[in-house]
Amino acid sequence: MNAPSDLEVGAAIAALRASYPQKAIRLQFGETILALGQADPDFVVLTADLMYATGIEAFGAQFPDRLFNLGIAEQNMAGVAAGLALCGKLPIVSGYAAFTTLRAVEQARADAAYNGVKVIFAAQSAGLSYGVGGPTHQTFEDVAIMRAIPNMTVLVPSDAAEVDACLRAALVADISGPIYIRLGRGPERCWSTPGAHFAIGKAVPLREGTDIAVFANGSMVVEALIAADFLGSFGIGVRLLNLPSVKPLDTLAVRQAALGVSAILVVEEHSVIGGLGSAVLECLAETASPPVRRIGVADIFPPIGSAHELRAHLGLCAENIVAQAFELLQMAGLRKHVFLR
Amino acid sequence: MAVAGRSAASLNDLAEMARVNRRDVARMFMAAGNGHFGSCYSCTEIVTALYFALMRVDAARPDWPDRDRFILAKGHAAPTLYSALIRRGFMPEDWMDEFEVKVGARLMTHPSRRYQPGVDASQGALGHGLSIGVGMALAGKIDARDHAVYVLMGDAEIHEGSVWEAAMSAAKFRLGNLTAIIDRNGFCVDGRVDDVMPVEPLADKWQAFGWDVIRLDGHDLTALLTALAPRRDVIEGRPRMIIADTVKGKGVSFMEDVRSWHSDAISPEQYACVLEELGEGGA
Repeated sequence: MNAPSDLEVGAAIAALRASYPQKAIRLQFGETILALGQADPDFVVLTADLMYATGIEAFGAQFPDRLFNLGIAEQNMAGVAAGLALCGKLPIVSGYAAFTTLRAVEQARADAAYNGVKVIFAAQSAGLSYGVGGPTHQTFEDVAIMRAIPNMTVLVPSDAAEVDACLRAALVADISGPIYIRLGRGPERCWSTPGAHFAIGKAVPLREGTDIAVFANGSMVVEALIAADFLGSFGIGVRLLNLPSVKPLDTLAVRQAALGVSAILVVEEHSVIGGLGSAVLECLAETASPPVRRIGVADIFPPIGSAHELRAHLGLCAENIVAQAFELLQMAGLRKHVFLR
Repeated sequence: MAVAGRSAASLNDLAEMARVNRRDVARMFMAAGNGHFGSCYSCTEIVTALYFALMRVDAARPDWPDRDRFILAKGHAAPTLYSALIRRGFMPEDWMDEFEVKVGARLMTHPSRRYQPGVDASQGALGHGLSIGVGMALAGKIDARDHAVYVLMGDAEIHEGSVWEAAMSAAKFRLGNLTAIIDRNGFCVDGRVDDVMPVEPLADKWQAFGWDVIRLDGHDLTALLTALAPRRDVIEGRPRMIIADTVKGKGVSFMEDVRSWHSDAISPEQYACVLEELGEGGA
């Protein structure tokens, strides 16, 4: 098959992308926390001078006795959360992903995970969503770090509706350990159905096809959807899985999805070291699987840029998924040709 | 042993329990061949006063929501806590003999609530305990429960910056139900605390952070009983800091105020000397 020109791809994908409305993750987080707070009197929220920045000021105004501002002290915040949980409270830690995982990782590990208590770490501005903040605020190692910690659940929801469903699922989950929820910041394109059930540990099949499998989570799900639909218009069948639950990973679904396709693409807004791509490779390495290619942040400190522009600059976009898919399929065709000869 | 399994009644009983505790600690370290003698023996009276006179705990209900909480932030002194919990009936005595000796031993260098009934928070990494204590005290305030929360820290542990984050938050949230204790034995692993990284003036620092501060002799049971008494009517107020001046390795002549006994190997001959100095008999 011949790959379409960049111009053809660009115009078609721009049109598909424009069909998805946008909603800010921070706005959704604030709305969900407020709604949950009204329905459930038990949980408390902790923040580190990020009440406004994580969108929970309305919750704080309505429930001043349930919002605790620890100041710019993430280590103490994580330890206090563990202490609250050890006395039967359910704390939601509302902070930035960079500091929750990189500064307070020992507290997350020793105080929450090792002590076996449920603390929800709601970590915003993850990935490149605060791209203009530069590498101190960009967060591309967090999934790798958190999923290496025993007893830690790691969830990466994508759009506003899935963030809402994910928070609701985490709140009621019967888990004796911390739950890390990786969240964006600004507007993200909405693709999922509001009110849909979020199942921790389960993959979500989004498209069925037999040529290539694409696994994605977070902000890359909608880009993968756009790419899949564009490829479909060329007669290329994409088997698309949304994998918001990185740990536990739905290994059965991943292995099944790997059967019968020519290649696999894993797409995430995270370093190619240690994230979803690594988790998928760990899962597939013990079985015969087609070639796996990862699209993510290379082992670099990215430049600054607004979230969507920076992602596109780094190849975290439908256009690059399409390009990589064509390349993988051409390679697969060559392989087939060589084998047949 | 008259007081085993319940709160002690008299000062004499408490002094006897402190002696038993030091012997138990030596027994555990002898099983392992080495241990943090100095760090354990400086806090024996503090832990004994809490578990045998002051704290509201029930060995039959280690998860009792209204129990008082104790966090051994200087987790490497775990055998002192193990002895107290064993003599209060939380754990069987023969667990002492498997201290660190095999894969899966229930008693290890640092306390773990996974394996040890009565341990309120797993500890080990320094600088974590006070934050957890702030969370536990805050939970008490939120739920209007009158449980007391005690956190025992080492004097070099407060080199960790997170301790001062926790100090600020305890004052902000007016956690009158929180008592922190600094075991001021003067030594860390590499030498005198004040050579490695000076910490004085301790009292001024904690007062400046909004705490009530009492400084006392950490081996004086009478003083400890007064200073550490639960303040169940002061759930809302300034948190309380007890700076306990202690002697590293207290109770064994050749260990007292000697840097290397922070953690060292012990020979059978030395073990015999320890038992002799701590007196025969006991629990």
